[in-house]
Amino acid sequence: MELLQGTLDMLILKAVSLGPLHGYGVLLRIEQISKDQLEIQQGSLYPALYRLEHRGWIASEWGESENKRKAKYYRLTAAGKRKLQAEAERWNRMADVIAGILQSTPEKA
Amino acid sequence: MWTRFRSWLTAILGRSRMEREMDVELRFHIEAFAEDLVRRGVAREEALRRAGIEFGGIERAKEECREARGLPFLDSALQDVRYGLRMLRKSPGFTTVAILTLALGIGANTAIFTLVDAMMFRWLPVRDPGQLVVLRWTAHEQPRRNRTSSFSDCERGDDKNPSGCSLPYPAFELVRSKSGLFSGVTAFAGPAQLLLSGNGAVRTARGEVVSGDYFSTLGVNAALGRTLSAADDTTSAAPVVVLTYAFWKSAFGGESSVIGRVISLNSVPFTIVGVTEPAFTSLTPGKKQDMFLSLSMLPRLGIDWANDDTRALDNWWLTIVARLKPDVSTGQAQAATSLNFRNLVLHDEKPLFKVSDDPAIVLLSAQSGLDGQRGFFAKPLYVLMSVVGLVLLIACANVAGLSLARATARQKEMAVRLALGGRRRRIVRQLLTESVTLSMAGGALGVLLAFLGVRAMTAIVLRSFPFVVEPDGRILAFTIFVSLLTGILFGLAPALRGTRLDLTPALKGSAFTFARDDSRNRRGLHLGKGLVVLQVAFSMIVLVGAGLLVRTLTNLRSINPGFDTQNLLLFGIDPTLAKYDDSRIRSLYRELQERLAALPGVTSVSYSSDTLLSGGLWTSDVHVEGRAEKSTQEVDMLAVGPGFFQTLRIPVLEGHRFVAADFEQAGRAAAPEESPQLTATPAVLPIPVLVNRQFVQEYFPEQNPLGRRITQGGSSAASGEGLAGGKAKQKVWEIIGVAGDVKYENLRREIHPMVYVPVTGGGAHFELRTATNPTALVPAVRKIVNDTDSNLPISQVKTQSQRVDESLIQERVISHLASFFGLLALFLACIGLYGLLAYEVTRRTREIGIRIALGADKTDVFQQIVRQSLKTALIGVSVGGLGALALMRLLSSMLYRVQPADPFTFAVVAVLWTIVALLACYIPARRAMSVHPIAALRYE
Repeated sequence: MELLQGTLDMLILKAVSLGPLHGYGVLLRIEQISKDQLEIQQGSLYPALYRLEHRGWIASEWGESENKRKAKYYRLTAAGKRKLQAEAERWNRMADVIAGILQSTPEKA
Repeated sequence: MWTRFRSWLTAILGRSRMEREMDVELRFHIEAFAEDLVRRGVAREEALRRAGIEFGGIERAKEECREARGLPFLDSALQDVRYGLRMLRKSPGFTTVAILTLALGIGANTAIFTLVDAMMFRWLPVRDPGQLVVLRWTAHEQPRRNRTSSFSDCERGDDKNPSGCSLPYPAFELVRSKSGLFSGVTAFAGPAQLLLSGNGAVRTARGEVVSGDYFSTLGVNAALGRTLSAADDTTSAAPVVVLTYAFWKSAFGGESSVIGRVISLNSVPFTIVGVTEPAFTSLTPGKKQDMFLSLSMLPRLGIDWANDDTRALDNWWLTIVARLKPDVSTGQAQAATSLNFRNLVLHDEKPLFKVSDDPAIVLLSAQSGLDGQRGFFAKPLYVLMSVVGLVLLIACANVAGLSLARATARQKEMAVRLALGGRRRRIVRQLLTESVTLSMAGGALGVLLAFLGVRAMTAIVLRSFPFVVEPDGRILAFTIFVSLLTGILFGLAPALRGTRLDLTPALKGSAFTFARDDSRNRRGLHLGKGLVVLQVAFSMIVLVGAGLLVRTLTNLRSINPGFDTQNLLLFGIDPTLAKYDDSRIRSLYRELQERLAALPGVTSVSYSSDTLLSGGLWTSDVHVEGRAEKSTQEVDMLAVGPGFFQTLRIPVLEGHRFVAADFEQAGRAAAPEESPQLTATPAVLPIPVLVNRQFVQEYFPEQNPLGRRITQGGSSAASGEGLAGGKAKQKVWEIIGVAGDVKYENLRREIHPMVYVPVTGGGAHFELRTATNPTALVPAVRKIVNDTDSNLPISQVKTQSQRVDESLIQERVISHLASFFGLLALFLACIGLYGLLAYEVTRRTREIGIRIALGADKTDVFQQIVRQSLKTALIGVSVGGLGALALMRLLSSMLYRVQPADPFTFAVVAVLWTIVALLACYIPARRAMSVHPIAALRYE
């Protein structure tokens, strides 16, 4: 399944909210949580990370990866946490509304 | 916002580092991905290849990452600047004219702002000026003071809103005792005129009298030696003095050996203990002083305003400045101080106010409260600031007009860029970058012009401008801001216009399509016309303003002051500083008068308590015989010596001038040891006086004034530099003559009823009528005074014409500068009009050619252009005239004998513009007439 437009940012925020991750880790985490149902364009991941960092929602620092290599780790900032909450609420409301519309049945005359 | 800016900044500054890290990060991703594949059994080479494919375009991802950091904006901005510079280089004519125009506009603004900045926005030269407050009293009525002295530290209130900064000594003690509010309190007064000897020739110096905690409260240090301390401000303290840095340099040659030297001030020996730091020119901006002494030294110095009891509650003379404690708010301190002040002034044995007067203290920040000299210069500078603001708007409109014509010429370029998919916003941004580049270049040149302009102004016309004029960061910031704004202002309209295009005709070829222009071109032309009308209108406003100010100056100059100002040498002398008493003063003056009159080239000599037209004024309340009982009139007073009326050539219309006997009689009346019976019956000894014609017209119309009596009553007030003589109370005068009217304080002030009394003592100003150039006599005059008594310095040695010029400095400066900027405005607007017409003719070359080919008369073509020029100018003149009518009322307080709506000035400017409009259209009209039909038709 392809990603709905504009949802990548939210998913990244969610992924790093569970603990600091490097870029590749973000990718794996999202695939893992979604049970491999979501396909992410790897090329669009990094611009999104850079954009989120630019806005101050995530912060980065260099660390060591599982196999002892230098990697850049991203973690959620306080502002990012607020943003994630707001986004999640918005998304849930939207999903409810849309589900409500789709479930409506034609009224019987 | 901040995070984004910081991230953007780190991205720019650490650009190469960011690139490196981006590489590392992406490579890590691909390799980690590949390793996972290897773990699933894919060969390593193959795994790397597949990881690369899965990832997609690395370069694109990188570019998108950079974009996420806001980097391309800067890249493209730099690119725009480079492109703009290239385009500007390609049309050097346009670029030169635009940059020069903008440089003149921006430079004029920077120059005047430099003066405004020096006057208004400088921090006081003390530590933490924000904590300093100055005490200002307010009340509904004037207090019942016995004496008040103020020293141009702050503006005085008037009778409607009484207020001021001069306070009595007990108020200072009171504020100082409330140590909970302030970390320091100081009081000061002056500067006092002091006689300085013991350092070369005797001279006068200005001594600021300050409380012992002055320097510690202000946080001002010594450059050399020490400053004054509380220990110096006791009655038993040894007399010490601290010099200002400038005075130390000028009078003592900046020698460090001055510390410990003894000088004599008003015959009291003082030891020099220090020199203040150079930055501390004065606490009150613009105030001039040479040295500082302690308040406790005042009684020994014999200064006239400190003769009365300086500690009394009804003698208001001290300015009080306090430093707020860090945790005390101004409001808190003000409430407490005000309450204490009320108790002080309301509950004394002799209360100074009624409770209903509601006396209070306001704490003003010293920064804005100590504004003594500002009032004098503020208004002219604001007028000039408005004038140069208008000049800049004209420059903007001018360059906008030029850019508009250029935008039409660049239609093809724009069309190509739009056709190739360039976004309009992007192109507008690029054009704006171009205009801002242009205005920045203009600004840079403008700063240079302003620097030279300010140097010239302070050297020539503003020599007496008392503020420190120095370029600083604020001025640079101002210029950059103005340049940016200018660039956007003149660039926006042409940029928007230039990018709204119909692509097909624009691409097809000539920018100047056939005369049946499409409506877009026509609208562009309307905009261009509007801009020129605007320029004419603004220049009209500036010119009318300048015209009114010039007429004011000529009116003031052409005033007949009532006496002959030519070949008159003046100098001041104050023997009271050298402890002369009245009778010694009288014999000194007689001796000086004789010896000076004997000088070759001197026709006659006299003296008076003040010189005319030098800003000094002495008024007194008198009772005039025949007026209602106990009624008083305020009249101007001048004490004059023998021969005053002959020397100044003031006609005596009735009666006779003073004779020697009159001075003897006045001297006897003034002497306190005169027999008490005689003063009890004052009618016995009336002092002979002369009055002016205005006095007779007001108080004795159609009557013979000779022999009538005037009684001096009520309080007398002296203003000016305190050389006014004759302070005894309750005198009776008898009119012995009537003199012609003369202007007294300055040329502007109307003639008031005036009484001339004989000089009986005090300081005086001598007047020498010369047959030749009066300045040549100065050395001889100095020698005579020095030979008579070497302890007597003379001051203000000037000719009467110099004094008149000085008194007109403000009017002269502002009318000259306003005229200069007015001509600049006219010139710029003229260029604008010329540009519009030239463009119009070029645009219509084909149309004109065809009309000529079809047999139109060439003079018709010529006239058409002339008509258009006149029409545009006249619309501008009408619009500007209306604007001027509305605005000039704001100038009325600066004008003299000319109405803000002066028809003559308006007419002259309108005629001037008609002539300029004819000149501006001459070349374009000639070119239109000489259009050759064939050439015009081949044009495409």
